[in-house]
Amino acid sequence: MNALATGAADAIEIRNLVKRFGAFTAVKDVNISVPAGSFLVLVGPSGCGKSTLLRMLAGLEGPSEGEIAFVGQTVSSGAGGVIADAGRRNAGLVFQSYALWPHMTVAGNIAWPLKVARWPREKRDRRVKEVLALLGIGALAERYPAEISGGQQQRVAIARTIAPEPSILLFDEPLSNLDAKLRIEMRSELMRIHRATGATSVYVTHDQVEAMTMATHVAVLNNGRVEQFGKPIELLRNPATTFVATFLGTPPANLLPARRVADMFVFNDTPLTSGSIAPGHDAVQLLYRAEDVSVGAVADKPSVTARFAEAAPIAGRTMVTAMLGELRITGMAEGYFSAMPGDPVTLSFIRTPDAVFAVSGERITQ
Amino acid sequence: MTFISTFAPSGGRRLLRSGFVMPAILVAIVAILVVAPLARILLSTLTPEGIAAWQAVLVSPLSFNLWWRPLFNTMVLGFGVASGCLILGGFLAWLVVLTDVPGRRLLGLMGTLPYMIPSFAAALAWGTLFRNSRLGGSAGFFETNGLAIPDWLAWGLVPTAIVLIAHYYSLAYTIIAAALSSVGADLVEAGQMAGAKRPRIFFGIILPVVTPALIAAASLTFAGAVANFAAPALLGLPVRMQTLSTRLFGMIETGQNERGFVLALLLIAVSALFLWMSDRIVSGRKAFVTVTGKGGRTKRFPLGAWRWPLFAVAVTIGLLTTVVPVLVLAASSLAPQSGALFSNWTLHFWIGEGGGEIAQGQAGIFRNPVLIDALWNTIRLGLVVALTTMLLGLALAYTIVQRRGSLLATILSQLAFVPLLVPSIAFAAAYIALFGAPIGPLPSLYGTFALLVIAASAHNLPFAVQSGRSVLGQISADIEESARLTGAGLLRRLFAIIFPLAIRGLFAGAILVFVKMVRDLSLVVLLFTATSPVLSMVAYRYAAEGFMQFANAITLVILIVCLAASFLAHGLQNRVQKWKQP
Repeated sequence: MNALATGAADAIEIRNLVKRFGAFTAVKDVNISVPAGSFLVLVGPSGCGKSTLLRMLAGLEGPSEGEIAFVGQTVSSGAGGVIADAGRRNAGLVFQSYALWPHMTVAGNIAWPLKVARWPREKRDRRVKEVLALLGIGALAERYPAEISGGQQQRVAIARTIAPEPSILLFDEPLSNLDAKLRIEMRSELMRIHRATGATSVYVTHDQVEAMTMATHVAVLNNGRVEQFGKPIELLRNPATTFVATFLGTPPANLLPARRVADMFVFNDTPLTSGSIAPGHDAVQLLYRAEDVSVGAVADKPSVTARFAEAAPIAGRTMVTAMLGELRITGMAEGYFSAMPGDPVTLSFIRTPDAVFAVSGERITQ
Repeated sequence: MTFISTFAPSGGRRLLRSGFVMPAILVAIVAILVVAPLARILLSTLTPEGIAAWQAVLVSPLSFNLWWRPLFNTMVLGFGVASGCLILGGFLAWLVVLTDVPGRRLLGLMGTLPYMIPSFAAALAWGTLFRNSRLGGSAGFFETNGLAIPDWLAWGLVPTAIVLIAHYYSLAYTIIAAALSSVGADLVEAGQMAGAKRPRIFFGIILPVVTPALIAAASLTFAGAVANFAAPALLGLPVRMQTLSTRLFGMIETGQNERGFVLALLLIAVSALFLWMSDRIVSGRKAFVTVTGKGGRTKRFPLGAWRWPLFAVAVTIGLLTTVVPVLVLAASSLAPQSGALFSNWTLHFWIGEGGGEIAQGQAGIFRNPVLIDALWNTIRLGLVVALTTMLLGLALAYTIVQRRGSLLATILSQLAFVPLLVPSIAFAAAYIALFGAPIGPLPSLYGTFALLVIAASAHNLPFAVQSGRSVLGQISADIEESARLTGAGLLRRLFAIIFPLAIRGLFAGAILVFVKMVRDLSLVVLLFTATSPVLSMVAYRYAAEGFMQFANAITLVILIVCLAASFLAHGLQNRVQKWKQP
């Protein structure tokens, strides 16, 4: 309780967290803190350690090193293991599989955690009704989990988790088992619930669109390490590594390897940009966003000729992908565009690169 | 046959096109195998003699001894064995699946072994150790070595129940362990997140989720104990403890067929009633399928200081129900005096020549022509029944799957599962009712090898259809259809695609049927005659006559045949489907 008095403590603070399973290190030296009420999204490819990180936040796994503090109180540490039990963290977890108890009705599933927490009967019944209404599943109260659809099970799982009014909500890829339409619907539903409860949320996903649309804070994980942590727009605008640059954003940004020839960086015999953007580097990777690559020749702009691969119309323009050897390059064409696969396509680089990275993947700041 | 006529008007054209001959043959076969014997045994008890038998069994001065007393014993055995199996099997399943006990694989293997050992092996081993001198004859190992064994521990209900528990608990273990491992870690962790402590999670989540499996395990072990013949016959009959199955056997053996049939029907009723009741409890809205968690992970609870003590308890249970009985049988088959298990060992009972002092001048089992005959008969029976069962099962399963949802498929699958409700000794009685006398121009089949094969195939039908379905389930419709798109005809597809994919499953099923037949006693005990002896029956006869060493030696032969078959199957399976090798 002392920690509360300081007032400044972050809702979640992760310090130097490491998790090893035998010789394998799943989570490597992670540092993240977010203020109360944030919506933190942990995003990364499968096997990047994001679920392990979430399970450590939930108290289902103990860290090997480092510590986790909720509102200034250390709940787990490498030295002490799980200090506060999963049930005593005032945190709720929505499982990827929903983990509904099959032998209890929908209402029973929601009420059980409240029973465990010894809520008096009346208050419990009121709360169950309340969350059923909040999730719009009041009609399903007496059904068993096996009798309702996947989307409804998802809502029950969320209702069960928020019923005890946890101050921290944890989500483990909750939308991955839903079809595309339902997923978009549940995305806004989850954001509505986040606003309604005000609980600090941590959300694990491999879908960068979910990360960009829902998060107040995003941590991009790769190989157990945080590649970059910050606000979604900031990550999009100023990616710290090539991994972040290519992982986030729709359509994915282009990364062109270029080498210094005289005073220019040259890609595939085409001089693209001045060598002064990365002094001291002889080889770099240049980041061009799809909107900076135009289909067709443009006066005074460098261009390459690639082989057409595919086109997808997006909001009145067309996203065109072409192959140059093994490299995919995506640009935008005005209106609709189509061609036969293998046809030559001219792609022009109409702006200077958005970012420059070293061959190692690190950002080169200018 | 009436099924065909009810089915035919629904779509005559479709029937012709999709080949009606095969399904019609199958319905006929199943009707003859399953419906006819049961109908016949019921009808036999509705004749004047049959009615008299009903009266004698149910409402007469005899009925206490014919029906009520055996019923009481049967029920006590059924409930006792079911509870014992739930406790032992449940404990072992909990230990292996839900805790961090050391040697989990070993314990899991030990949990499944006792079911492989015939129940009369355990009964014989028990007798060898615990028999007392009350009935004359030589005493068992303990009493010979100065440890007085009270009657209740030597004979009757208690030892019968113990022996049956030792046999059937592995069935309960298998069922409960499968259910426990389907309880995903997520379900448990969701409970932990709610703040529930371990007991609360166990009683509030895990136990209710596996309750259907517990009920299934209880009812199957109950049905097994109620139907079992060997254990009560070996340990109960000498002190006149009768169960329904031994009573039924006694009636038919002494030529009182109608009374035997009445008892068979009552036994079927008792067994089916409980199986049906348990099915009612489990089905319905609560017949939930567990949603498994990520990768079927299960949560293992740490046992702390209890790890090794509980491991020791589990290993002891495993040893007492597998290794110890086999060792006792082996020692006994070598010991000339049945009480002195470990002295004066001789191979006489195996290969000795007749005419000596030992065993009233009888030759060892491998010099006994009856026994060689029985060995050959047993293996032949096992092989033939395995073949017919799997072929019939595959044909039935294929028809049922192909016509899913049709009346024909429903009738076939329902009929094929009827034998599950019928204890094997009662099933044998039904076969005597049907085939005991000539039918029209057909001679009586009683006592022939053919009757044994037919009855055994019929009794294995539920298993056959089940494994046929699971084999076919492994071959997705896509695989078959993609072969069809290449233009391959039915036979070509059958041999090039379906057969290679199905062979492993068929083989595994066939081996199980083989083992079941080789160690079966309760089905063959009524259908056996001197002209078609099988090993288990010869062993039973020897035991009934007091030649324990011979009985034990033959039981060991049965065990070795079963084990050899299992190993052979294991070795062959990897050869048959090379792409599945690790």
